[in-house]
Amino acid sequence: MLSTRDLTVGYDDRTVLDGLDVDLPADAFTVIVGPNACGKSTLLRAMARLLAPRRGTVLLDGTAIRDLPTRAVARRLGVLPQSPLVPEGVTVADLVGRGRQPYQRWWRQWSAEDEAAVRAAMALANVDELADRAVDSLSGGQRQRVWIAMTLAQETEALLLDEPTTFLDLAHQVEVLDLLHRLRVERNRTIVAVLHDLNQAARYADHLIAMRAGAVVAAGPPREILTADLVRDVFGLDCVVVPCPVSGAPLVVPSLTTSVRPKGSPCVAESSPSSSPPRSVPA
Amino acid sequence: MTVLPAGRTLVRLGPARLVVRHRPVLAGAVLVVLLAAAVVLGLSLGTPYVAPADVLRSLSGVGTPYDLVVRDLRLPRVVLAAAVGAVFGVAGTLIQSVTRNPLASPDVVGITQGAGLAATVALTGGAAAALIAPAALAGGLAAAVVVLVLGLRHGLAAHRFVLAGVAVAVALRALTEVVMLAADPVDGIRAQLWLVGTLAGKGWREAAYLGVTLLALVPVLLWAGWALNGSALDDDTARGIGLRPVARRVGLATTGVLAAAMVTAQVGAVDFVALVAPQVARRLVRAERPPLLCAALVGALLVVLADLAGRRLFAPTQLPAGVLTAALGGPYLIYLLVRGRRKVC
Repeated sequence: MLSTRDLTVGYDDRTVLDGLDVDLPADAFTVIVGPNACGKSTLLRAMARLLAPRRGTVLLDGTAIRDLPTRAVARRLGVLPQSPLVPEGVTVADLVGRGRQPYQRWWRQWSAEDEAAVRAAMALANVDELADRAVDSLSGGQRQRVWIAMTLAQETEALLLDEPTTFLDLAHQVEVLDLLHRLRVERNRTIVAVLHDLNQAARYADHLIAMRAGAVVAAGPPREILTADLVRDVFGLDCVVVPCPVSGAPLVVPSLTTSVRPKGSPCVAESSPSSSPPRSVPA
Repeated sequence: MTVLPAGRTLVRLGPARLVVRHRPVLAGAVLVVLLAAAVVLGLSLGTPYVAPADVLRSLSGVGTPYDLVVRDLRLPRVVLAAAVGAVFGVAGTLIQSVTRNPLASPDVVGITQGAGLAATVALTGGAAAALIAPAALAGGLAAAVVVLVLGLRHGLAAHRFVLAGVAVAVALRALTEVVMLAADPVDGIRAQLWLVGTLAGKGWREAAYLGVTLLALVPVLLWAGWALNGSALDDDTARGIGLRPVARRVGLATTGVLAAAMVTAQVGAVDFVALVAPQVARRLVRAERPPLLCAALVGALLVVLADLAGRRLFAPTQLPAGVLTAALGGPYLIYLLVRGRRKVC
């Protein structure tokens, strides 16, 4: 449903994305991965019309997104930026209610639909019990669920999230990703997220986009494209890819470096990548 | 049916549906009562003293021996004080919300200095008294335009707006001093006096002018009250829910500086009202941003009391209201510092 054509984005004198053509499948969970500063957040922000491209277009169901009124886009596309600023003292219900902004006008500030959407969003993100708490008093995991609830209240077909798990501990990361997975499966939402953890990406993504230096290196289902060669291409990291014992998805295990190699360990990392690339186990 | 976030009620007015928060309404009601009391006090105290009961009778228009003192001498000034405070309160709220800075006010973003420079030039240049206020208005607006244009390059980001304002303010103040030093000492003193905001010798004409200003602002403020709701969100989040943060900031900032320039042109710099009123109001309603209407009421209350204190504290010597509010501002800033929490509006 979202795609880019010849998308070129830059800051000041630096070009971050140069002529990118990306297609995001509808009703799928797409994860964008890549090393720091590879342009993955820039791509997400450009697709969410938070950044104006220098050249090229972002298409939302075939229409250039910049030709659509921003309120109309906000009814079809929810965005969760990387580290949104929490307004001081604002309550959970209040913040989730902001998600109804694209349906409101100053003379029509609240409706039964708003009410229902906010309730449903809070229940779905499991924050309904926190409704009257101040957002700035919540833990990181709770806060992230509140932000997700706000974007859910927008009732959009698609949800774009920029590193939604970055500041969370492992249990909360899983909680957030499970929530996104449920949205995809139970509500047929299109989910697009930038993630840092390759293994989480492999487990949750239907469609994986691997980026390096502003270009897409590979795109497709993780089980087809996530190989040791790809990880080396994209991250410059030697690794072994094995099937995950829990999910069967590809599991990326970095090779040992000499500095952390205990006695008697297998010597995968000792051979140089050029002479003997690490073994890749297809899932 | 409706379960809004706690502390709110949905009000249906014909086709319109407005969310009304309880605390601001409650605080507003209390402030209106306090303001009424302050007004009566302002009309009552002085030489001669007029008992509050007589003030009320005189106001009701039955005709009393005090009509000259209450209605003709004191009422215009008290009404003007309330109007000045209200406009400053509104201007401060808008400017602080755009800059996300509780210390921002018209004199931080250069408007006061622009008006001051223009008024000084007019006064020392021997312009007619009637031309001082229009000159000051033009000066304040010119400064506002420069600050807005400088601030706009990066979408009127908060820090950029403040930095542009401080730079313009400092430059204009320096120019003002040059003009004063070069002028005839008597004119220089007159200019100095103008710069300290005072209500002495002013009345219905200025009050009417500010009343019209406030009325013209009403539709803008209705929009602003709603637009301010998104002002506490960062730009990406705001865009994500379909807002246009830059357009909003420009609209809110323009309204704020316009209001500040209008009121400064009439009465000079009544320091700190625009700074303090929004923050006091915000604490009263415990909101994440200053409420417009309450800030206007707090501003009105502050200036009515400051003018009254200036008239009575060292009577018969009269202090300009601007001196009193400035004296209040210092301790308030120290209080903010001691509290130590950086407040974002």
